[in-house]
Amino acid sequence: MEGLTRVISVSRLSAGVFAVALERPAGFRFQPGQSIILRHGQNERSYSISSGPDEDRLLLCVRLIEGGALSPRLIGAQPGDIFPIDGPHGYFLFQRSARQAVFVATGTGVAPFLSMMRAGARGFVFLHGVRDGSELCYRDEMSAAARPYVPCLSADPIPGVYHGRVTGWASAHLAPGSYDFYLCGNRDMIRDLTILADERFAGSRVFTEVFF
Amino acid sequence: MKTNVGSGDRGMTSLLSGERVSKNHERIEACGDLDELGSVMGAFAAAVPDALSPLRREIQSIQAELLHIGAWVGTATDSAAAATLTGFTDGPLEGLEASIDRMEEELPPLASFILAGGHPAAAWAHVARTVCRRAERRVVSIAADAIPPQIIPYLNRLSTYLFVAARFCNKACGTPDIPWKG
Repeated sequence: MEGLTRVISVSRLSAGVFAVALERPAGFRFQPGQSIILRHGQNERSYSISSGPDEDRLLLCVRLIEGGALSPRLIGAQPGDIFPIDGPHGYFLFQRSARQAVFVATGTGVAPFLSMMRAGARGFVFLHGVRDGSELCYRDEMSAAARPYVPCLSADPIPGVYHGRVTGWASAHLAPGSYDFYLCGNRDMIRDLTILADERFAGSRVFTEVFF
Repeated sequence: MKTNVGSGDRGMTSLLSGERVSKNHERIEACGDLDELGSVMGAFAAAVPDALSPLRREIQSIQAELLHIGAWVGTATDSAAAATLTGFTDGPLEGLEASIDRMEEELPPLASFILAGGHPAAAWAHVARTVCRRAERRVVSIAADAIPPQIIPYLNRLSTYLFVAARFCNKACGTPDIPWKG
């Protein structure tokens, strides 16, 4: 559906990531993992919804891109500002099965997994790849639901936290078997983990959502 | 939603229901032929003259239906993903049959076999017809209980539609069908 939404609030989560709360248009229904398109002038961008499907507002987790088409406008938005909205879109949906679910995100790719978790998903392995610890948004919420929650820092190491890429952790620590991999984030991660699934975890299913 | 790049470099790909399969898996082969059919239908639509713009719109709605069929063919039966797909009804098949009847009313009876060709739009319709037959054969190779029962009849009827549409274009454009003089 196409309609209008109003900004409720904007809040910084880290230096480069912020959350936007939007009013949920009447009759707007979605499934966890789906996305919306927001428009501003001639520009439009797709964002995964991070709120649960029963919440009365829509939450987005947005990476600020300097000079970007929409994120600079969004981070400067004031409560009450109106944006055209279109959606929901996408098929990156959680599908319950007997296999262990492995959620893998880089950066703001955590957004659809937040929505799945807020809709009741529990017991999934969650790998969150970021550059440094300040970018581990929603750590408390996700670590309470995941088994285990594994932050993976590619740049600045923190004692006791895995230092390396998500693919490295999965390759070294994921027990042999078949999994349902849900991959959301950058292309390199999705390519590398898909290849790893093919080569090391035969019989797995792979669902992907490319962010950047 | 952005385009995934590189995860199929080693000959594997994903069904919509997540299973990793070889790119020559029967469902992927069928999806490829349906994709090719949709593309050729696009060429057909592009060749249809403006005077037949209702036909062009109809072709484009068939292209959309082919995407719908592709989603079903590319999804494992009984998967959770299949439950998220829009149901397939008899409506599209009935729509094709109505269109075939409507076009045939304006055509003279066939007195002999004809060669594919004539107006460029008709030529593209014949190409689409043959690709449609191949797509149908690929879909048939998937177990019959693994896809909605309306899909194979739809593809069968679509071939007929394309044959009739080719003749319809030739007649509307003043280009005679080319009889086979065997």
